[in-house]
Amino acid sequence: MTSFALAWRTAQRYRARTMLAIAGVAVIGALLFDMLLLSRGLLLSFADLLDSSGFDLRVVSTEGLAARLPIAGSARLAGDIRQIPDVQHVLMIRIEPATARTADGPSRGISLVGSSDTDEHVWRVLQGTDLRSPAAAGERCPALVTRPLAVALALTPGARLTINARPPGVASALPAVVCRVVGIAEFAFAPTDDLTAVTTLEAFGNAIGNAGPTDADLVLVSSRPDAAPGGILRAIAGLRPDLRVYSNEEVVSQFNRNGFAYFRQISLVLSSLTMVFAFLLVATLLTVSINQRLGEIAALRALGIGRTRIASMLLWESALLVGAGGLLALPLGEALALVLDRILRQMPGIPERMHFFVFEPRAVAIHVTLLGVTALAAAVYPIWLTARLPIAETLRREVLG
Amino acid sequence: MALVEAQDVGRVFPMPAGPVVALRNVSLSVEAGEYVAITGPSGCGKSTLLHLVGCVDTPTSGSLMFDQRSVAHLSEAERGRLRLTRIGFVFQRFFLLPMLSAAENVELPQAEARVPARDRRARTRELLDYVGLADRADHLPSQLSGGEMQRVAIARALANRPALLVADEPTGELDDETGEHIAALFDRVNQHGTAVLVVTHNPLLAARASRRLAMKSGRLVE
Repeated sequence: MTSFALAWRTAQRYRARTMLAIAGVAVIGALLFDMLLLSRGLLLSFADLLDSSGFDLRVVSTEGLAARLPIAGSARLAGDIRQIPDVQHVLMIRIEPATARTADGPSRGISLVGSSDTDEHVWRVLQGTDLRSPAAAGERCPALVTRPLAVALALTPGARLTINARPPGVASALPAVVCRVVGIAEFAFAPTDDLTAVTTLEAFGNAIGNAGPTDADLVLVSSRPDAAPGGILRAIAGLRPDLRVYSNEEVVSQFNRNGFAYFRQISLVLSSLTMVFAFLLVATLLTVSINQRLGEIAALRALGIGRTRIASMLLWESALLVGAGGLLALPLGEALALVLDRILRQMPGIPERMHFFVFEPRAVAIHVTLLGVTALAAAVYPIWLTARLPIAETLRREVLG
Repeated sequence: MALVEAQDVGRVFPMPAGPVVALRNVSLSVEAGEYVAITGPSGCGKSTLLHLVGCVDTPTSGSLMFDQRSVAHLSEAERGRLRLTRIGFVFQRFFLLPMLSAAENVELPQAEARVPARDRRARTRELLDYVGLADRADHLPSQLSGGEMQRVAIARALANRPALLVADEPTGELDDETGEHIAALFDRVNQHGTAVLVVTHNPLLAARASRRLAMKSGRLVE
């Protein structure tokens, strides 16, 4: 009869206690698992989003990517970058706040994006055509709009949209440009409620009153599939030392330091708390169970059953309770994560393809490790109790009791 | 040759209200194959003496030898090993593991002594047959009567072929008739060469011993 078999039989014998402990650990473990998914979910989701855009490098004129200024001579820079070996594609982007309205409708504040090229990685046309399609070729200002903007202004492909390159409520001498909606698109980085219109960089220049070439505030670069972007990064930095070039990894790490620090801290605090709860639950149940079985244990010791066997039996008991609960916690936590993710993604400003809870094998490994440590820690006090149990005194007390 | 030899042993329990003297200068020896019964009123120190002889407790004064070895000089692990291989315990409340069958309860001390599985199973069958419970091997303690549980406990105590069987009020929880069966079983165990030291209030059980001792206020009085 091994220690594991003894622990298994004990778990079967004290069924109510076992079920209670497993249910408790499953619920607590589900929360722990969710905290682990949350701690890196946004980061993984963001990294996935960046990678799926197909661009490896981002060139900006300022430190960081949040607030951007136009890059002087960006068209020439883009041309130079295209000459670097292993560069596959270069896209220039410029974003400004603007106001959009239809002929007979209300005006809405939007983000106006000028793009040097169309790129199906950055957006996906849901209805109509793309900016450079033959159908849009004759248009002076073809525009793609996000679904929320299409809904807000009742736009369909073919509709006319009047755009003023100024934020709502700001007076401007710039004339309005009339664009034609060629399609409705979904943008990878756009929040679910985002009101954005994309047009060509030339049309964008017209909207902001630029006579010459329009400077982009972001240059996106993709490398060939078999090339490492590090060399291209160094080459661009050599071309324009006044600019900042970020790889996807740097962007993710920058967001990790700034944007996602709250989630990491919250998940760290909550996962530590859930571990404490799991520890207290299992340690309490084991301790109560041991106190109910002191006579049995003292008798076993009197019969010569060693401390090691009793300790390992308790360790297995703890491992069984935490292990079964921890296993149940995985599907339970996954289901809970789906619900929580749906709720959190309703927050304004969250890109449609971003998720707060993202499954990764690493989270399961950490979950298992943390619960293993919890099981071990929870068994320490009951083991200490049995190891120090005075055999004769306990037997006497049991008989008198 | 003495299996156990206690010389002027004393046992004092420190208590918040002051030390309680449970045993005073008790000398006792149990020979191999002997059958000794100790009787006396409750609280006279019978169980304390049994626990010392059974090596689950150590005296606060005097010396205790088991197999000519001083128990005081044995480590906890060595005393555990001694109990496992040389001493069998029978308790008033049986203390069988409720989640194990009768056979598994008997197998447990053998597993601890690293007896090979096949030998364990054979010995267990032999012992359950010996105590008349061959047909109840797979029953859980909760499916057995008090007398049957005590017989399983005796089989368990004999599992590793001990030299000494110590029993603390083995008939205390049983009716007279069942107690008589248990007493007969102790006779048989002793006849097969195992020394028996039994502490009891039951005069009929004590009467079966080859040597009867009485205790009063922590001393042996006869």
